[in-house]
Amino acid sequence: MEIVFYNKVGFITLLGREIQRFMKVPVQTILGPLISNILYLGIFGGMLRTRQVGIEGVNYLQFLVPGLASMGAIFAAFQNPSFSLISQKFQNTIQDINSYPISNLEKSLAFILGGTFRGVLVGLLTYASTIVFIGFELAHPLLFLISLGATSFLFASFGLIAGLVLDNFERMDFLLSIIITPLAYLGGVFFEISKLPGLLPAIRFINPIYPLVSITRAVYLGIFDGSIYWQIGIAAVMIIGSFLTAVTLFEKGIGIKIR
Amino acid sequence: MLSISNLSKTYLPDKKEALKGVTLDIEKGEFTALLGQNGAGKTTLINILAGNVLKTEGMVKIGGYSIGSHALETKRIIGIVPQDTGYDFVFSVYEALKKQSGYFGIRHNGEYIDELLESLYLTDKKFSNIRGLSGGMKKRFLIAKALVHRPKILVLDEPTAGVDIEMRHTLYDFLIRLHQSGTTIILTTHYIEEAEKLCDRVVIIDSGRIIADEPKTQLIENFSRKVTVEFQFDFELDSADMAFLNAYNPQIEEKTKLRLRVLKKNLPEVFQLISRRNMEFVDLAIEKPTLEDIYLSIIHR
Repeated sequence: MEIVFYNKVGFITLLGREIQRFMKVPVQTILGPLISNILYLGIFGGMLRTRQVGIEGVNYLQFLVPGLASMGAIFAAFQNPSFSLISQKFQNTIQDINSYPISNLEKSLAFILGGTFRGVLVGLLTYASTIVFIGFELAHPLLFLISLGATSFLFASFGLIAGLVLDNFERMDFLLSIIITPLAYLGGVFFEISKLPGLLPAIRFINPIYPLVSITRAVYLGIFDGSIYWQIGIAAVMIIGSFLTAVTLFEKGIGIKIR
Repeated sequence: MLSISNLSKTYLPDKKEALKGVTLDIEKGEFTALLGQNGAGKTTLINILAGNVLKTEGMVKIGGYSIGSHALETKRIIGIVPQDTGYDFVFSVYEALKKQSGYFGIRHNGEYIDELLESLYLTDKKFSNIRGLSGGMKKRFLIAKALVHRPKILVLDEPTAGVDIEMRHTLYDFLIRLHQSGTTIILTTHYIEEAEKLCDRVVIIDSGRIIADEPKTQLIENFSRKVTVEFQFDFELDSADMAFLNAYNPQIEEKTKLRLRVLKKNLPEVFQLISRRNMEFVDLAIEKPTLEDIYLSIIHR
């Protein structure tokens, strides 16, 4: 593995392209998910506004806001690198990546940070849009930002892995519909997992979305319990693991070089 | 400048051998034609240099750096113009070239980009979206893209395929100037006259092996020991009367034209034989083989 900044200008250019790419089509990449999240908030939040959740003194609307911000960040962060790589495969420009004198670590980081930026942007805009419904309720703004950043980084890493391994949009859609969306729904975005019947609550132990949503909710509400440290630990392990996996796939040329 | 030793490539999973022990050394400043039929292994070789295909065996060094252990250094030295590629349609020509410069760690090279665009007759398309370029313009854009980092070696994979004749000649002039400025060039092409006009060395690859590698002039000289001699007479010829020239494979064309295949050293003897028969010819042409003839005779051996 090469040193981090072999080519700083190259890294910044690649990161800039990854950001510019989605900023050129803001209706699809920013506004679309934002409207979905506002609709979720309007429908679920409006209907269940007064319903109490398991956290003392918190109503359903307050419970829902950090969940929606996390979900918006997760999908946006995942889609940015995966869509970028798969569209380059589709356009037959993927070989360009191999021609740049940019280290694999820099390339991975550029794709992941591009996705992270988009995730955080969608997460923050989702939060900003909820102010109309719920006001400026944010206990720890900086920690909220860090939590959204960590969530986005993790799912941008997953998105990079998916973009390298998968070779067409149909497979990516399948992954989003069959794996990521159910995990988001069962990750505590809309309801408390502990209230599910039978063995279903156990799904939180294998769901990478659960600890991240829980951490974001904790810093949003300012209510921490003992499990937060475990969740931070699990999130850290997942972030490091997924990042290293993405860099390793780049190193091996999976999906971008012919064997 | 480029050193390839015992390079092999077997594609998985069908174990198709595309390159079989290729060894090739290209010196600084050479203009080399890499010729071969479709599927001969040319594009695989170029894709290995570009880092798009992983080699199975062998060693490749670009500017003294191994593509395995010093891949990033090699990318600054080489520029590749791919045969078949897509385009990032999000950006204009200028934006794409600025980005390409950025990937190579270069900033503030607007003047050089303008020079490239002017040399490749793309100045008026500077701010056009790549989507709006014609096929020939896209090829020229790819050349500009491969040159933004001023590579010492430029590899062009069939750069003139599908380009009209006038623009092809414009590209030839550009490549000649680039070569004269010191750039080492490797060109693959199906237009043999292109190789004959531009290159000073010819490498022929067939079924993954190099079957000829010589300076162009020497290759032509070696194959020019035998020439075609064409006599034009002002009377009709009868093949039965030409038996005295059987050693030279006589062929009568258009009743009055006689073609012979003759070793250069035997030319005086042929003239003597014809003179003894009092066959006065009105015109004479001696044809050396072209690179195309040589290429065809080598690959059909």
